[in-house]
Parts: sequence; structure tokens; C-alpha cells
Amino acid sequence: MASWRRSFRLHLRGGTVEQDVEEEISFHLDQRTRELMAEGMSPSAAREEALRVFGDAGRVRRECQEIGRRRERGRRRLEAFSELRQDATFALRQLRKAPGFTLVAVLTLALGIGATAAIFSILYAVVLRPLPFPHPERLVHLWAVDQGEDARSISPGNFLELRRSARSFEHLSASPGLDASFNLTGDGEPERIVGSRVSAGHFATFGVRPALGRTFSAPEDEPGRNQVAVLSHQLWRGRFGANPEVVGRSILLNGLPHAVIGVMPAAFDLQAKGTELWVPLALGADEEANYGHSYLRVLGRLKPGVSPAEAGAELVAIAKRLEEISPESNKSKGLRVEPYVDRLLGGWRKRLLVLLGAVGCVLLIACVNVANLLLARGAARSREMAVRAALGAGQGRIVRQLLTESLVLGLAGALAGVGVAFLGLRFLVAIGPPGVPRLDQAAIDGTVLACTMALGLAASVLFGLVPALRTARPDLQSMIKEGGRSLGTGAPRDRVRSALLAAEVALALVLLAGAGLLIQSAVRLDQVETGFDSRGVLTAQLALPGADYPEVPRALATVERVIAELEGLPGVESAAATSILPLSGWNTSSTTEIEGHPRERGEELDGSTRTVSRGYFRTMGIPLLRGRDFTAADREGAPRVVIVNETLARTGWPGEDPIGKRLSYYTDDEDEPVWHEVVAVAGDIRQTGLNVEVRPELYIALAQSGSNRWGGDQSVSVALAVKTAGDPAGQTSAVRQAVRSVDPRLPIFAVATMEEIRRESVATTRFNMLLLTALGLIGLVLAAVGIYGVIAYFVSQRTQEIGLRMALGATQGRVLAMVVLQALRPVLVGLVVGVAGAAVATRLLSSLLFGVTATDPPTFAGVVLVLFSAALLASYLPAQRAARVDPTRALAP
Amino acid sequence: MAKMDLLQGTLDVLVLKALSWGPLHGYAVARWIAQRTEEVLRIEEGALYPALHRMEERGWIEAEWGVSENNRRAKFYRLTDLGRRELHSETTSWQRYAEAVGKVLQTA
Repeated sequence: MASWRRSFRLHLRGGTVEQDVEEEISFHLDQRTRELMAEGMSPSAAREEALRVFGDAGRVRRECQEIGRRRERGRRRLEAFSELRQDATFALRQLRKAPGFTLVAVLTLALGIGATAAIFSILYAVVLRPLPFPHPERLVHLWAVDQGEDARSISPGNFLELRRSARSFEHLSASPGLDASFNLTGDGEPERIVGSRVSAGHFATFGVRPALGRTFSAPEDEPGRNQVAVLSHQLWRGRFGANPEVVGRSILLNGLPHAVIGVMPAAFDLQAKGTELWVPLALGADEEANYGHSYLRVLGRLKPGVSPAEAGAELVAIAKRLEEISPESNKSKGLRVEPYVDRLLGGWRKRLLVLLGAVGCVLLIACVNVANLLLARGAARSREMAVRAALGAGQGRIVRQLLTESLVLGLAGALAGVGVAFLGLRFLVAIGPPGVPRLDQAAIDGTVLACTMALGLAASVLFGLVPALRTARPDLQSMIKEGGRSLGTGAPRDRVRSALLAAEVALALVLLAGAGLLIQSAVRLDQVETGFDSRGVLTAQLALPGADYPEVPRALATVERVIAELEGLPGVESAAATSILPLSGWNTSSTTEIEGHPRERGEELDGSTRTVSRGYFRTMGIPLLRGRDFTAADREGAPRVVIVNETLARTGWPGEDPIGKRLSYYTDDEDEPVWHEVVAVAGDIRQTGLNVEVRPELYIALAQSGSNRWGGDQSVSVALAVKTAGDPAGQTSAVRQAVRSVDPRLPIFAVATMEEIRRESVATTRFNMLLLTALGLIGLVLAAVGIYGVIAYFVSQRTQEIGLRMALGATQGRVLAMVVLQALRPVLVGLVVGVAGAAVATRLLSSLLFGVTATDPPTFAGVVLVLFSAALLASYLPAQRAARVDPTRALAP
Repeated sequence: MAKMDLLQGTLDVLVLKALSWGPLHGYAVARWIAQRTEEVLRIEEGALYPALHRMEERGWIEAEWGVSENNRRAKFYRLTDLGRRELHSETTSWQRYAEAVGKVLQTA
């Protein structure tokens, strides 16, 4: 402390750094010259000698000046810092003196900043943070496309040809997707795990090396040598206790021993419930010429410098060649690439950006509120400012002081906001819908903290600058004239306030309009008739591995025994099995031919296919409109039967009764159509999702499904459905026990009530709605508080004027109307601007909506009404206070 | 005896020693060193100033403008407590160094 005070004084007394150095050096030279002259030298010789002894004066000067300037800079920094510290200390004292104001401002900011930080942390984890592979932008999906139709899988023959000839890719790999699942038996409980069969290049395509051991070699990707497995980090930790010695051990997958050869790193787990294990795809020799059955998802890593568009151009040429190789399967089919990250994120990038926009609105409203508070406070402090200005504080100095106050507020808000963000994030992750990639990795980490603090700083400038500039320029003359009691505030200040008020209302309206539309969507989605009765239905997945059940008929017989066992349970009304549960998001479909109604190529009827046991319709509560359910007589060898839904009945046999008519659906190994007789028409149900239109659908009898429905070595996998009289979840252990009594090796998994599946299918819509509604409500409350604050301020400033008016005969009603009307003018402006803004902003939402348009007039009208009522209430309360002003007291000197 | 070049860092100790007798301006420091070393050590007088300024920056000495014997404005340097401690520790280590080298040279 003492030393800088000293250097400060020196600085005042000395000249600039350059002058000081110059003077010091010339003093030295003069002294030396004088001394030499005293010894008898001539003045010029003495000067010369002095210079020589001194050495390189230029260099000395430069060095000294350099040091001097460095010290100067350091001193200035210290000064600025100590000034900031003084300002901050002063600001803290000022804020402590006004605890009400400080509390409201900090809480408002904490809400805005915290909500923004929470949403940002999710956006960062899910979207912004790079994927954990090298050059994720070079990773692409390859899809087959039908005349610009949606993406489809690729056949093994086409994949192998692609791998041979495509030059744009460093690696290509294929996998039938996530649908391979395995019964893991051996040590511990039998467990059902989600695995993936992948070709040998899979890990090289991702560019990720195993954390332990190795991945598949090319020879292991051939049938017969493929009994090896790579574990995911989560499986390794969960099932094997992170034991590194598991590498080299053998595990039983679907009853077959597999050697564990490697473990992937934790970062390779992209989803909380993602792939747990990989085994080689091992395409057989017969698959090499399979061009017709498309079931592979193909991933590619682009060579460095090759853009997806260039790869796409090469694929066009390859698609032509594929058409020549296999004209009937590849006729007019194209190929296209899609960046891996686009597929992974799906709609989440957009949904999260919408949320970030919404939360940004909340933050802006919070800032506007605090700005209004500061303006009011500034007006109250105008005398303090006038005094400080009169004492010689420059305007810049006062602005800096006021901005420091904002800064302290902003940082306090950000600090409290971190707490809000922490709680908010925990809440969001807890209610988050399934399938959001990397949501579980969202955390309030360094990046988010830094962004939160930056947000606090940015916000403090945003809300602090205008009030600081206004407050620092008090109207000295009017202050003096009115002796500190101003009658009527300056008009310009009112304009700023009104503009802020209008902005706040407009922002709140945009938020509420978005929330309103999403609420409408959720309500409409909830009202969609599913066509089935989900009450009391418990479901579970059951898989019979090919190793234990090499013949499909035996597997199917076992499923029937399980169903019989389940139906015998007390409290169970009926039980059934299906290949795919409604609303599970899955679908399979086949080209369907109606006997006697041939269709042109390209116009084929595409029917969704479900394989169900008899009793399925009763269990699920799907009405059979006409005809009969499958019976025990509909077995292998008996005439083939099928049940169609209403939509298929209508499109397949327009104007006719389909019962007794025949259809066939495409399967791989049959060239001739196999005709199935329609025995019933079932009611339409929402099969794929509540927001997906009903498609033509056919139900195949489980007992007649044969091996081609289940694929060669793939295990039979069905969903069990049990209709119970009481609480379905309570039957879980009974169901497990019943399955075990048939075969103790069989695990059931994914146990869920139909109600849960239904809820999960709308979880994303609900999540969006819940969040936007919460943000809309916060916005509404903040806006109402803001309106209240401003009107209350108007009233307090105009107490004298109101008293005067009342003394002159104005009634209470007139005063009330005057105040409310004055408040409502900016509100109305805000409503108009807000409606226009919302009309633009809600268009971004349109892909998230269901059953309403982005500019749904009733929703907009409702939102305007809600906001207007809130504004009316917020201005009525202070207006009422104004109307009760006692004229004698208001006018007393 | 021929003149010797000054070892790096030695100048600092000499300056501190010169100032331990009381405040001096730069020229007086130069003269003091020249007299005390009986001009054995060759010092480029100019090199003194960067050394002074650096030591001022480190807080070993502090400076104040004053008036010289012949009534001219001159910058006077004074040892701080920090500088005094520095002088002490430098002196000790210098003596130990000289002693050690001396021992080696005597036995050789």
C-alpha cells in the first residue's frame, strides 16, 4: 500500500517516463563532463570522454524507458482495479441499503439466468459438444431411396458391392440396427441385453479404439468363426463389475459361448440405454447375392476432403450399376448419404433451440424488469446524483459507478442462477423423454458455468446501461426549482419506461403463444382415439434364442404354452402375443396383393404386418367389426387366414365385403403369391404413434407364421400382453414366474403397462409442452410484476398531481380510469407487437405441433386475453391506491 | 592488474552496497563503485541505469526526485527493507562462493 502511494506521488511530481529517463541520463553526463573539465580537459574533449565511459546511451535510454513503461502499465492496472474495488464495495453498500429492491432484482435475474443455463447445459451436452469420435463430420449413413421416398435399409448384396467399389469412403460397415438382442446367461440371472451385429469395419468407421482388448478382425466376420463379442462400457461396469479380466473369458449369448475380446470406452455409450454389446455380422455366402431383402443399416466414414455431396454423386453412379446387377430388386432405386449426427439428433437440435429461444425470452423479460427497477431507483436517487455531479464527479465516473452496481447485481443473479440451473437441470433430466442422445451427460460443468457468468455480465450491461445513462444525467435545474419534489416526471423517461413495458408484454406474448400451441397439441394428442383399450394391460418382451429353439414351430409352441400359463393366473382375463406392440414406434410392412385387384408397379399396396396369437384382439380390446378371431384350428397346414384392419378393407376392397376374399403379402423365399383368406375386419388402431395416421394393416396368425416371418437363425421374439382385472403392474412377478415355469432360461424384459407405453409415446410432446408452459408462466408472472412495478411507480410520482385533480373535483372513478388507461397504452402496443412476433416465431414450432396450426386464432386470442387480464390486474392495484389519495396530505408542503 | 569485466548480477550487489550508506543519485553510485573497486572493475556507466530501474521495479530500492549538490534536479535512490535483506543474502552467498572457489584454487 505504502509503496504505491509513493510511486503515485512520484508520478505526479516527475514528468513522463521518457522525460524522466532523459533527465537522469543527461544529469549523469553533465556531472561527468564537469568533473573531467575540473581535471583540466577541454569542454569538448570532456564531453566526448563522458559519452565514451557511459557506453551506448541510446540502448540505455531504450531499456530504461521500456522498464518505466512496464511499471506505468502495472500501476494503472492496480489503480483501475482498486477503483473497481471501491466501486464494488460502494455498490454492495448501496444494495444492502435497499434489501427489497436487491432481493427482487437478484431473484428475477436468477430465474432468467438459471433457466437459460439449465437449457443451455442440455443443448450443449446433446447438440453442441462434439461426438466422441475423431472427425464426426465425416461419419455418414447410407440409405436406399425409392424415388425420393424416405430412407430405407440396404440389402447385403448391395452393401458388399458398395464396399467393393465406392471410392469416397475410408471404411464402410453394416449392421441390422439395434434390433438384435441377446439372452445373456451364465453367471448371474439371465438377462436380456440390447446388442448389435456389426460388420468388421464398424469400429474403424467410428474411428474409436477399444478401451481394453481388441475389436473384430475380418476373419471373425465370417460364419463359423464369429463367436466373439465386444462389450460396451456400461455392460462391462454393470454386469462384469469393471473387471479387466473379463477379456478372454467366455460368455453365453442366446445359449452359445462367445469369447469376450474387447471393451469399448465409456464415451462410446451415446445413449443411456444404447447398444450394450457387439458381435460380428458374419454374412453367409448365400447373402452375397441377396439383393432383394434390404435389412442393413450402412455407415461410412468419408475420406478426408470428400464432402457428403461428392459421395452422393458417386453413389448415383453406383446405384445405376446395382440396377444392372440386379434389375428386379434395384429397379429405379437410388442411394443417398445423411450425416450421422443429423440422424442421431433427429429433431432434438431444433426442439432444444426452440427451448433456448423461449428461455432467452424469459431472460430478456427479466432484464427488462430489472432495468425498470433500476430506472425507478435512479429517479429516487436523482438528488444523490445531482449532489455528486455538483461535487465534481464526471458523468463518466457516475455511469461507471452505476454500471458497477448493475454488474454486482448481474453477478449475484448469475451466482443464484447457478443454483436455479442445478435444480432445473436435475428436474429436466428426470422428466426428459426417452431417446434423447447424451441427455444423461448434461451437467453444470466449467463450460456452462463460464457461459452463466458471461450471461450475468451481458445481462447487467443490457439492463444497466440505459438506466445508468439516464440516472447520471439528472436535470439539475428542475431539481433545484422544485426543491427535490418533482411534479410530473420528465417525458423522455416515461417513454423509455413505456417502451420497456411494451417489449416485456410482447416477449411474454410470444412465449405464451408457443406454450398455448403446445398445450393444444398435447391435449389433442391425448384425445386421439387409440382404437384399443389400454386399461389393465401389462406387456413384456419374450425372446426364444435360436440356439435353444432351433426350430421355429417349437418356439411358437412354447409361446403358446406361455400364453396358456399366463391365462391360468388368478386375476388375468386373457393373454396373447404379438410381434409388435401398438405405440412402440416400430413398424414392419410388406407389399400386399389383393386377389383380383392387381396394381401397377409403383402403385403397390403397402401393408403393415403384425403377427398375433389368437386372443390378441380380446386382450388389447380391439373390436372385431366383422368375422371371427383366429382359432386353434388355424394352424400350420390348415388354410391360411388373415385379419385386416378397416383401412385395408376399405382400400383393398372398396365397396365390397372383404370377408372370404384373399390377399397375399410379399415374403423373401416365395415367388408365387401365397393366398390368405380374410376371416375378420378389425377396428383401426393407432399402431405406430398417436400422431401417425392409420395405415392399411394385416394381422397374421402366430401359429401359421412359419419360419420366414422370423428369419433363419434369428430368434423368435414376441411381446406378451396380459389383460388383468386389477392393477396390471402388480402382476409382474406372477408373469415372470409363469414364464419361468415353462422354461427357466427365458428372461422377460421391458415389462411395462400399456398405459406406460402410451405415455412414453407422447413423452416428447409432453416434455416440450411442460417446459414451454413453465417458461410461459414464468414470463407471464415476470411481465405482470413488471407492469405492477411501473404503474406503482407512476402513481407514487404523481401523488401530488392526483391529489390536485381530486381537490379540483375529479372523482375516484376518474382517477382510477386515468391511471389504468395510462398503464394500458404501452400494454396494448406490446400486445400488437407480440402478436406479430408470435406469428413469426410460432412458425418455428410447426413441426412440433399436432392438430393445430402455428397461428391458431383461438390460441392467440386466449393468450392475448390472459396477458391483458394480467396487465389489468397489475395496474388496477396501484390505481386503486392512487384513487384513495388524500388530497390534503398530497398537497401539504 | 588488468581490468576485469563485471560478472552478471554482481553490479546489483555493488549498487545495493553503495546505497546501504544512504540515498545517492545514479552518478554518485557510479563514482562510489569506481572508487571502492579502485577502478579494477570495468563498468560501463550507462549499464548502471537499467540495473537501478530494474531494482526499483523489484522493490529493492525506491527513487525520489531531489536536488543535487550543485542545485540540479536529480533522481535519488534509497534502499528499501526488501533491498537491505537482498543485500544481506547476496553478500553471504557471494562470500561463500568466493571462499569455495578460493579453497579449490589454493589446493590445486
